[in-house]
Amino acid sequence: MSQLPAPVQLVMRRLARHLAIGLFLDLWPTWASVGLLVSGTVALVCRMFLSSAAPILPWLWLTPILIALPTLGIVWRRAYRPHEVAALADSLGGGQGVLLTLLETDHSAWARSPLLEKGSAVALPRLRLRRALTPLVPAVAFLAVAMMLPQRMRTADTNPILAEQIAADLSAAVVELKQQELITPAEEQRLEQEIERIRRSAEERVDASSWEAADALREQVVAGLSEKQDAVKWAQDSLARLAAAADGSGASPDAQAAELTKALEKLAQSGMLAAAPADLRKLLKDGKLPADPAALRDLAAALGKYLSETNGRFAGLGKLGKEFGRFDPSEFPVGTEPGTNGDGLPGNGGISRGRGDAELTWGKETQPFDRFKSKPLPPGAARTPDDWSPVMVLPGSPQESATLSGQSDARQYSATAGQGAWRRSLAPRHQTAVKKYFDKNDKNDKQEKKDKQDK
Amino acid sequence: VTDAVQTLLAPDRVAGGQAKISRVVHQLRRVIIGKEQVIDEVVTALLARGHVLLEGLPGLGKTELVKALSKLLSLEVRRIQFTPDLLPTDVTGSHILQEREGRREFVFHPGPIFTNLLLADEINRASPKTQAALLEAMQERRVTTFGETRPLPAPFFVLATQNPIELEGTYPLPEAQLDRFMFKVDIAGVDQAVLEEILVTRVHGDPPALEPVLTASDLIDLFSLVDAVHLPRGVANYAARLVAASHPASPQAPESVKTFVKYGASPRAAISIGAAARSLALVGGKPNVGFDEVRRVAAPAMAHRLVLDYAARLEGWDGRRVVAALLESVPEVERGLPRTLEAR
Repeated sequence: MSQLPAPVQLVMRRLARHLAIGLFLDLWPTWASVGLLVSGTVALVCRMFLSSAAPILPWLWLTPILIALPTLGIVWRRAYRPHEVAALADSLGGGQGVLLTLLETDHSAWARSPLLEKGSAVALPRLRLRRALTPLVPAVAFLAVAMMLPQRMRTADTNPILAEQIAADLSAAVVELKQQELITPAEEQRLEQEIERIRRSAEERVDASSWEAADALREQVVAGLSEKQDAVKWAQDSLARLAAAADGSGASPDAQAAELTKALEKLAQSGMLAAAPADLRKLLKDGKLPADPAALRDLAAALGKYLSETNGRFAGLGKLGKEFGRFDPSEFPVGTEPGTNGDGLPGNGGISRGRGDAELTWGKETQPFDRFKSKPLPPGAARTPDDWSPVMVLPGSPQESATLSGQSDARQYSATAGQGAWRRSLAPRHQTAVKKYFDKNDKNDKQEKKDKQDK
Repeated sequence: VTDAVQTLLAPDRVAGGQAKISRVVHQLRRVIIGKEQVIDEVVTALLARGHVLLEGLPGLGKTELVKALSKLLSLEVRRIQFTPDLLPTDVTGSHILQEREGRREFVFHPGPIFTNLLLADEINRASPKTQAALLEAMQERRVTTFGETRPLPAPFFVLATQNPIELEGTYPLPEAQLDRFMFKVDIAGVDQAVLEEILVTRVHGDPPALEPVLTASDLIDLFSLVDAVHLPRGVANYAARLVAASHPASPQAPESVKTFVKYGASPRAAISIGAAARSLALVGGKPNVGFDEVRRVAAPAMAHRLVLDYAARLEGWDGRRVVAALLESVPEVERGLPRTLEAR
């Protein structure tokens, strides 16, 4: 194209640029629309099912730009060649074929010819941008709508905040028990392991089971506390009875000492002696009562003091639990003690009354004196055929003859039996002969019967 | 792009050729009033060394046009009035037994075809056998009789006329004969203003006296100039696509071609378009052919070469209308503008 005159080169360059833009706009809006529709669908799916992809969704707006890159490559590959540009320029300029000729021939003689000016006067084609970009509008709208949709959150989705909260509540209860010296280090370690397990489980999925597991752990803690409290109470009672026996007002001292020993064993098993003062543990000597009465008195005094302090800690735990956010053992009643409604019947109420695993009842049964009495029905009255009477007599129905009433049918028609048939089937001239025949036979029969009787 | 770079005709040569042609056209327009397009088409065909079939009613100046041409171009002209009893030898000439120097021998007596400009008047009245006598002469510019082939004088043109209305006792030209005419020029009637001009300027209808404006050497020079007019490949591609699309089986054929055309134009049509377009470009003072020249010569060059179906006659379609539809549907450039660009 370098051999072309400068004005022609300019025209050709401008037309080639126009054609390239036209080629790009032929391809890109359609492909970008498809890309935007696909992006919109992806955004829609992410909004509905994939909440974790929400932060990257705005990047989908870059789809048209990404699509523009391969489009540019294709435009570059399909670009109009110089002779195609010249042909189009010639066609647009009135079909003179000047530019094509300039490309193909040595035109030096025509350098200053008006023919060249005429040939280079090409009206560049108009770019119909609006028509080209129209397909993008619905696609952009679709993606915009898809992006504006609120993110759908799954109810059973992972929620680390909730999991941390559940674990924190449980840990606070453990810390509180530890401060009150109501749990042993081993128990504390086990509880912490349980709390960690619940926390991990809740991080994966927070649902009713997470809360139930936390409540179960609290109930377990409360049950342990109750057991310890019982052991402390038993030890106190046993100590009191031993003191009374020593004064001679109770049972034998040996029996009470044995009971106190068992109570102390129980206390040791519950771990409550682990937190006892060192002098008390020294007096107990492996959980056995000293034989020396003086040492026994000292032990009783120290033990009584310790048990009183322990009871005080239990009471203090109950009082602190009433404060907001503190662990309250009374929220988890142990055993079958009467609930807040006071009826003491299992399964007889809502979630706040009775245990969940209690026997299911359908409410209060009817008391025997309130039940319905059986009441016999009056005897039935059997109807007789006489009770039935004709309601009406239709014309054509058989009429009862008063004269023949009570006679049998055979008797009623015997006199004329067969007469009608006789008359109907035999000609009159034969009737006499037939009658004679039967009469004769009849007579013969009678005679034979008579002979037989005679014989 | 052509392999070897051609040299474009020099502007002065083009201008000189155009001036000569303009003189001829100017004189012809003096003789034939109101028929500018017919004159242009006939001159274009003659410069392209093509034969012309003139079709029109009697009295429209067909014979006058041929006579004027012969005078202006200093060409020998012969006229043959084609009749049903005309024999081929009446056209081509025949051998006659003659005595020369005591010996008898057949001597060839050339017929009227041995001329520069042959006016074949009412060509469709002759029998097909006589019409066929023109085939070799028109295509190869030679005549073969008694096994002897003789060249015709150069240049050789056939300007035939035929009457479109008197069909009784006529023999329509076969397709092979029609295909040898570069142009078929339809001569329509004249309007009132032209008639008035004729009445004012002519006494007894006699045309003005003409003097030759071109010599034989001028004509040969013009022929060489026409041949040197550059036909760009893109324009040739357009002409080729036009002819190809005239075939009903072509994928580029418009619906009208598929419906009304039985057989499309031959390759000779494409050659005629190329030659005529070159000639027309020179008439217009251009050193090259453009799309516009191809569009202008397409109808006279292609219309008579299309074999139309009976449906075309029933629907009132003729060859020119089909070519117009072709020009409408076939784009000038094979690879058009992108869809988002619109020509102003």
